[in-house]
Amino acid sequence: MFDPYSIRQEFPILQQPAYEHELTYLDNAATTQKPSRVLERILGYYQTANANVHRGAHFLSDRATSQFEQARQTVERFIHAPENGQVIWTKGTTEAINTVAYGIEHLIDPDDEILISSLEHHANLVPWQQLSFRTGARLRIIPFTSDGKWQAEYANYFSDRTKIVACTQVSNAIGVQLPIKEVIQHAKNVGAMTLIDGAQAIAHYPVSVSELDCDFYVFSGHKMYGPTGIGVLYGKTDALESLLPCQTGGEMVLHVTYQATEFNILPYRLEAGTPNIEGALGLAAACDFLQQHDQEAVLKWEQSLAEKAYSILENTTDIEIFSPKKHSTLISLSVKNTHIMDLNGYLDSKGIAVRGGSHCAHPLMAQLGVSGTLRASFACYNTMEEAEHFANTLLEAIELLQED
Amino acid sequence: MESPSLSSIQAQLQACHSKEDTFRTLVTLSKTLPRLSNDEKADEHKIKGCESAVWLIIEHNHTDFPQFKADSDAKLMRGVLAAILSLVNGKSTTEIQAMDLSSLMSSLNLGSYLTSSRTNGVLAILDKISCR
Repeated sequence: MFDPYSIRQEFPILQQPAYEHELTYLDNAATTQKPSRVLERILGYYQTANANVHRGAHFLSDRATSQFEQARQTVERFIHAPENGQVIWTKGTTEAINTVAYGIEHLIDPDDEILISSLEHHANLVPWQQLSFRTGARLRIIPFTSDGKWQAEYANYFSDRTKIVACTQVSNAIGVQLPIKEVIQHAKNVGAMTLIDGAQAIAHYPVSVSELDCDFYVFSGHKMYGPTGIGVLYGKTDALESLLPCQTGGEMVLHVTYQATEFNILPYRLEAGTPNIEGALGLAAACDFLQQHDQEAVLKWEQSLAEKAYSILENTTDIEIFSPKKHSTLISLSVKNTHIMDLNGYLDSKGIAVRGGSHCAHPLMAQLGVSGTLRASFACYNTMEEAEHFANTLLEAIELLQED
Repeated sequence: MESPSLSSIQAQLQACHSKEDTFRTLVTLSKTLPRLSNDEKADEHKIKGCESAVWLIIEHNHTDFPQFKADSDAKLMRGVLAAILSLVNGKSTTEIQAMDLSSLMSSLNLGSYLTSSRTNGVLAILDKISCR
């Protein structure tokens, strides 16, 4: 049986109070907390193995390089990458998407089309918009309803002009899952490349890039119990080969003269400069952490927390909930005539951390007709008491803020 | 509701011993701030850098005593604005220019309501009311 109370013991940060209350951390879609083993891995690296990787033949350098490359393999196994060397380290999801958006620029013609969904985070929107500005290609938005369903005539968006389709697996703002398998299939039917933004999925859903068969899959370490400043660009080998490096310098070269540079092989070709070694090791430790628990049981638990909050709040006049009742690990809502930041402020004063705002998704907020939402997002260490405490405190806040 | 004096606002805020107390006090204070009309909530009066919309108008009316009016779509921010405006309401331009607004702000005991992401907006407000 899955036990959030024992998992919680692995997270030292959750043992402290917030103001004079117990800390209730429900901003996990922004970033998760880190278990002791991730923190120990990072500290241990600096205490026993710190050296630059892939250069210098000495004791520590060999140790650091071997741990760094093992970390890559751990992540490759975690997402079921078919081959070694298909995981490129990045700063996070945003850098991974930019690496692709700049890397394929040389393949884009002015009459090409780039497709994204209408539920994207700015990170999976602005890089494609800017690519369309640079190349003259047309950016097209596939309309999805806020419950993640295709809208009519979606198939018309896919054509032989479609060069790449970039789509999120789970909406960060409203928690809904998109039908990425169908999106990938439609893209393949017209010979377009695919990029799946897994930032919000990777901590909750088992991911197999082999099964998905997408060209690129990207995510951040810090949203899956790993450190900040490290993320992953997975790519099929030929897809990665097609990218021109958008950063050049050390590490990514084989031979340099003043006249020319011969680039290194993958994955190093796309990793200019000294990498975030501690981050890679910490991320691998986070993969181990996730795999040591029954991921399906954890997911069911997280969904039951969101559903509990939903059921407490759903019948309240003035509350509009945008996230799905079932199969979501977060709840996202707005309250009529009450400012999100006021609700956020009251919850904070009670030690409850949630996120209020537009969630880096302005076009989606416009589609929903709100300026922002209040989002409580759950992780493996959250308890049923916390879900109830959030919902009941929100009701208190509404009562306090609506009295005149 | 009549605008409370600076000393009364200072006393109310200094009596707060928790974030929750301060929250409730700011909500109460928000009710003392007269609302702006829709016409007054023009873009030219909007302060950039706030999480909630904030409008601030300074009317000089050919006197040396500027009149400050402000509004926000969030109650918490209206409470903060009521507190800030109490520092300068009824003062002359010369008096305001001689004030050390940032140290006066700390006497309001707003603590983490100013240190979080609201800071930028509040700095912009202070800059505008300083009449320099």
